[in-house]
Amino acid sequence: MKRLPKVGNMDKKKHEKHEKKENLEKKNEELLDQLKRTLADYRNLEKRVEENKLEWIKIANKQLLLRILPGLDALLLAEKHTKDEGIALSIKTFLNILEQDGVLKIETIGKDFDPNLMECVGIIEGEEGKVIEELKPGYMLHDKVLRPAQVTVGKLGNDNQAIENC
Amino acid sequence: MGKIIGIDLGTTNSCVAVMEGGTPIVVHSAEGRNVIPSVVDPIDHVVGDIAKRQMVLKPKRTIFSIKRLMGKKFTDESVKEDSKWLPYTIKSGRDGMAVIEVEGRSFTPQEVSAMILQKIKSDAESYLGSKVTQAVITVPAYFDDSQRQATKQAGEIAGLEVLRIINEPTAAALAYGLDKKNAHTIAVYDLGGGTFDISILELGDGVYEVKSTNGDTHLGGDDFDKVIIDYIAEEFKKDNGVDLRKDPQALQRLREAAEKAKIELSSAQQAEINQPFITQGKDGPLHLTMTLTRPKLEQIVDPLIQKTLHPVELALKDAKLKTAGIDEIILVGGMTRMPKVVEAVTKVFGKEPNKTVNPDEVVAVGAAIQGGVLGGEVKDVLLLDVTPLTLGIETYGGVDTPLISRNTTIPTSKSQVFSTAADNQTQVEINVLQGERPMATDNKSLGRFILDGIPPAPRGIPQVEVSFDIDANGILSVKATDKATGREQSIKITGSTGLTKDEVEKMTKEAETHASEDIVKKEQVEAKNAADSMIFTAEKSLKDAGDKVTEDIKKEVEEKVAELRKILDTGSKEELETKTRELSDSLQKIGQAMYQKPEQQQGEGSEEPKADSEDQANGQANGEKKSEEPVEGEVVE
Repeated sequence: MKRLPKVGNMDKKKHEKHEKKENLEKKNEELLDQLKRTLADYRNLEKRVEENKLEWIKIANKQLLLRILPGLDALLLAEKHTKDEGIALSIKTFLNILEQDGVLKIETIGKDFDPNLMECVGIIEGEEGKVIEELKPGYMLHDKVLRPAQVTVGKLGNDNQAIENC
Repeated sequence: MGKIIGIDLGTTNSCVAVMEGGTPIVVHSAEGRNVIPSVVDPIDHVVGDIAKRQMVLKPKRTIFSIKRLMGKKFTDESVKEDSKWLPYTIKSGRDGMAVIEVEGRSFTPQEVSAMILQKIKSDAESYLGSKVTQAVITVPAYFDDSQRQATKQAGEIAGLEVLRIINEPTAAALAYGLDKKNAHTIAVYDLGGGTFDISILELGDGVYEVKSTNGDTHLGGDDFDKVIIDYIAEEFKKDNGVDLRKDPQALQRLREAAEKAKIELSSAQQAEINQPFITQGKDGPLHLTMTLTRPKLEQIVDPLIQKTLHPVELALKDAKLKTAGIDEIILVGGMTRMPKVVEAVTKVFGKEPNKTVNPDEVVAVGAAIQGGVLGGEVKDVLLLDVTPLTLGIETYGGVDTPLISRNTTIPTSKSQVFSTAADNQTQVEINVLQGERPMATDNKSLGRFILDGIPPAPRGIPQVEVSFDIDANGILSVKATDKATGREQSIKITGSTGLTKDEVEKMTKEAETHASEDIVKKEQVEAKNAADSMIFTAEKSLKDAGDKVTEDIKKEVEEKVAELRKILDTGSKEELETKTRELSDSLQKIGQAMYQKPEQQQGEGSEEPKADSEDQANGQANGEKKSEEPVEGEVVE
């Protein structure tokens, strides 16, 4: 039987060189891919930072407003109990200022209870499903709910339910 | 490839997190909060904050704490107990499992939970901008097989492939990376909204096993709120003869005020409770005003905290461990923010608990990490170093001018163009500095070199670009190139990021303590440099103007120069600034005179003073900042 020659030294070296080249090419591709991914992540991060910037401003404003609203709540209570004209006018001024920044009071009394805009804190005898009293006013900030209103809702019949702990 | 989200499906609140770029991020709900109340109206498919708002109005229809019924049979002791106080109807369903009944329709706890999970899924998809189909969900360590199955089913109903159900305490351990730190035995103290759980975990084969659990299924933040409300109401009753708890509207305000005070007292020593017009008394409106101090609060809630300690004892006993055998303690649940709780836990275990991760989010974070591992995301992240201290060079007056600020991720490069401080200066010395203080001598010199062969020119004219390059191994190369001739010189500095954490902290702290005096020093140097520049400009202007200026203007300027020169080294910042300004005002007269003279010489003569005075006002150096040149250097290739 004829015998096949061994792999000669020359060919062995050639083979190693070839393998090395292939490995390097493969590594090169991997690194290039990694680089591209990293760059892509970076670009995406830049985009997201830009988007977030505007969001953050909105959110910061929202937080500030939420901290200020209890002050307005107190004034409203004072007006309700003292019926003072001066206080009523001050409240109007306050609300006008807020309106200019897109803050609008949510109308509740007499309206249907809407959990998207209001929180029911009590039930009272009255027209079924309608808001009878407003405990704390709610506000919209542009098209989103800044703070839901707290209301008591009407129910026909007997049970006056106490506010439950959940 | 979608992201795998990690979900903490809690009794009172749920939370979801996901891995992004190697770190867990908590996904905010559509309502903008980091948690979603586990409250559902199954008829209208309303979930979370919105559902919670109608709870009082529709108590039989608004389902909360459904987790208490997951995987339980109707005849189970706990179900019977809970039926007594849960306002909605619980019945026996298929296979005797507990189901809820709303308006004649029957819902399994899995179906109700699935609605919560559906909302979580869609909020996560909004945030990520892509579909989410897989999740890791957590359950209490004591959940049995039936309860775990029910949780998995809930996920499936919601359209999620639940890759794994993991224990809540284990998730918390993952969130703190305790598995990497090889903490062998961990105690997880979880005081949530409605339940208390203590778990002892042991690390075996790279995985945490639960050794024992204990707790109180009806002890949580809500109970803390109640005792605070009772205290305030009693005090008010003493003073005003009215029980606020009897007036639903007053009670609502009282509840909010109590919660607010509780939260404030976690960071302040006292809280003002101020609720004007809280109710009508017989003589008119009544106001609730009182101060609640932290010691008083701690006194009020102490019995509740004590109540948590007995289960801890039992859990240790079951695990056959003493407190000394616990390597790490983790705090979970919003109530653990209270300093008194932290104190009690520290006292029991004899060491400080881990609490740096938001206790409301820690379980979801751990679930997200598990999700990341399952998705292969966590292993391929390249860890990059940061340079711990600011790197810069010394500029004229002994000031350290920074080039790369601390905590910059490396590898990175930065260049800046500088100039010369003196006329005919043909070489510049680059002194590479590391540190946060503004003066060169207070920082560490990493190395120096000289670049020479700069063609002789008036000061401020040559352009020497200095570039810093740090490679991924933290090796800093600093190169200075004269842009005119192309001559360059450089040095390589190793170990510029090789400081120990203590050394970095020490240097940063020193910079902070010396901050105000350093500012004074630096401003002094800057005032001196400005004065020096002004003198140079003045003398040059006089020379260039020659006889185009009258004798008195010349004399005035020379006088001002002499005055300024006299106080150059001794004057205070304010004195230097004043004299510099005076000289500058006088100088302007030269310019004016030059413009008025009929035979003016255009070009260099009149333009230079202006350009120079801008230059000089910015200070000069062995390397000088050129104000005309862009301050941001080019990135060195």
